[in-house]
Amino acid sequence: MVQHEDTSARWFIYTSITFFLVTISIGFIMAIKFVYPEFLGGIASLSFGRIRPMHTNGVLFGWLLAANMGLAYYVVPRLCGTKLFSEKLGMATLAIWVIVILGAVVTFGMGITQAREYLELSMVLDILVTIAWVMFAVNIFATIAKRKHEQMYVSLWYIMGTLLWTALLWIVGNLPVYSGVNDANVNWWFGHNAVGLIFTPMGVALAYYFIPKSTKNPLYSHKLSLIGFWTIAFLYIWTGAHHIIFGPIPTWLQTVAILFSISLLIPVWTVIANFFGTLKGKWVQGNYVVKFLLSGTVFYLLTCLQGPMHSLRSVNQIISKTDWIVGHAHMAVFGGFSFFAIAGIYYALPNIVKRPIFSDRLAEWHFWLSFVGFLGFSISLWVGGFLQGLQWMDHTIAFLDTVRAMKPYYVVRLFSGILMLTGQFIFAYNIYKTVRAEAPEVKAAVA
Amino acid sequence: MKIVETKVVVLVIFVVLLALLGTYFTMIVPLMDESLYTPTKDARPYTKLELKGKQVYQREGCWYCHTQQVRNLLVETKRYGMGEEETFKRFGIRALVQAPPSQPGEYVYDKPHLLGTRRTGPDLARVGGKYDNSWHINHLRDPRSTSPGSIMPAYTWLFDKNGRPTEEAIALVAYLQKLGTNIKWREEGVALIKKMQGVPSPEETTTQTQEVGE
Ligand code: HEC
Repeated sequence: MVQHEDTSARWFIYTSITFFLVTISIGFIMAIKFVYPEFLGGIASLSFGRIRPMHTNGVLFGWLLAANMGLAYYVVPRLCGTKLFSEKLGMATLAIWVIVILGAVVTFGMGITQAREYLELSMVLDILVTIAWVMFAVNIFATIAKRKHEQMYVSLWYIMGTLLWTALLWIVGNLPVYSGVNDANVNWWFGHNAVGLIFTPMGVALAYYFIPKSTKNPLYSHKLSLIGFWTIAFLYIWTGAHHIIFGPIPTWLQTVAILFSISLLIPVWTVIANFFGTLKGKWVQGNYVVKFLLSGTVFYLLTCLQGPMHSLRSVNQIISKTDWIVGHAHMAVFGGFSFFAIAGIYYALPNIVKRPIFSDRLAEWHFWLSFVGFLGFSISLWVGGFLQGLQWMDHTIAFLDTVRAMKPYYVVRLFSGILMLTGQFIFAYNIYKTVRAEAPEVKAAVA
Repeated sequence: MKIVETKVVVLVIFVVLLALLGTYFTMIVPLMDESLYTPTKDARPYTKLELKGKQVYQREGCWYCHTQQVRNLLVETKRYGMGEEETFKRFGIRALVQAPPSQPGEYVYDKPHLLGTRRTGPDLARVGGKYDNSWHINHLRDPRSTSPGSIMPAYTWLFDKNGRPTEEAIALVAYLQKLGTNIKWREEGVALIKKMQGVPSPEETTTQTQEVGE
């Protein structure tokens, strides 16, 4: 048996949870501002337009991607039957990552931004991200290169895919050469694929590993995982322009994006069928790890049913640019991929620190608060956003009236946010106690 | 099929090729499309002041709450056009002047683009000329004074201690007034209305005057 050190894995995980708390608290401040616009008013660096990139970039890169990287450092060596290529390189990667996220918070607070959605980070930070990503990729590829089994498990394909896609998207998306509507097109080529070719494959890779592990069921179908992977690799990259339907870009480009968006149902279906097939029989008696995985799978499915539907022109004209989309985005990133990452952490950490999770009850609370809170969050935005979209379809209704009409939904969102936030603080406390606890299990595990 | 599961290099090559394929068609081809770079007839670059205003707009993240694209939908050309009340107040005639949908040629001087994705507030692609400067100044200082119930932030840091607009606020307003003027649709609408002012009993003629401008 290989003895895994897991230094990089655990420190990436701790860091990601810390950033999770900070950046969802910023999200919470925004939710308050939607109900009380004067809240923290007058403080420029805490105004909505400056903290929004802190929240989005922070949650995506500071929490989710960092957590995924930590879990990759855990999963890849185990799937390869070998130690991680270099823990030192992993820790150096983390150091750069921390600098990037802290730098992001400071520069966004100062209003330094490239003003392109999800590409807001300034040039210096962009370069640091690139360096860190190359270091991460080297570490993972080098580990895979010295694997003990020739055949690679599906999680490894997805992780390698992510390494390549992210590099391509990040570097090409950040080139300072675009202008006008082409800049918008490139922006959405990046923005949409950031979800589809960074967070999706990473989340799916983890779910492919942790679902069989935590349920002790074998993977349902190898063939489905093959179809799923290669169809996503082909189809996803074509869809970015569905963010600008009816906008000032060529119609053929919109239509291509719509067609490919609809065909995404194929990879989604294969992945989902595979997950459900593997989860079979463990639906009810599962602990919180299975609960997070199962509900993560359901939310992933719902997100991916929404996506193609949104791209249809008839639907798009109503819900595009409304709060519905905000609910949709949170279902992918919070309900889907964050749930997968959380499940992964709950599963992996006890193996890393060699003692069980401090409190199963707190973990159950974490699940239910996240689950119920998220439902309140997204349903309020879906209903409110849809109704607002319908109001916009009548030009005699003044815009301001449609803003006022959103208030009750923003209130519900705020209260749901309290649940989500509380849940994650419980999560952090539980993890902290697990790592810190000088419980008798320590000796038992060591002995 | 087995080989993509056992040989890293093969997998890498296929993944990269597939990604480049989609990228080529959806990104590179539009980049080579000249019609996307041809300015509209009336397009002109930003002045220094407007450019400074655009930078303030970017810095303050106005674009997270405001899009800058009138979508190619009838209802949007009406919503973001000149409404009947506005034309009645200004010209004594009730007419709806539709705003033309946004066109690629209007954006050629935008770097970065600010098309936006979310309309917490209304679209601003045609806001230039809709209000006078003082309205914008008051609105930026205290949005709820002009628009009760608004959830837009008050930009107090764009004003000095005595509540006078700083250079930045003035630049920002200049930028807002420029938006949407790369097509002279307001002028054309006004001209049409003036022509119609001879028409008897303006209250009854609820006409859509303007053709969507090319
Ligand atoms: C939190 C979201 C938000 C942010 C950020 C924001 N706005 Fe607004 N804005 C609104 C809302 C809501 C309205 C509609 C109510 C009103 O008139 O205030 C609005 C209205 C406007 C209008 C009037 C448009 C019309 O056609 O009536 C202008 C102009 C405007 N905003 C400019 C700006 C500028 C400039 C900034 C950045 C300095 C900005 N907004 C930032 C939410 C926002």
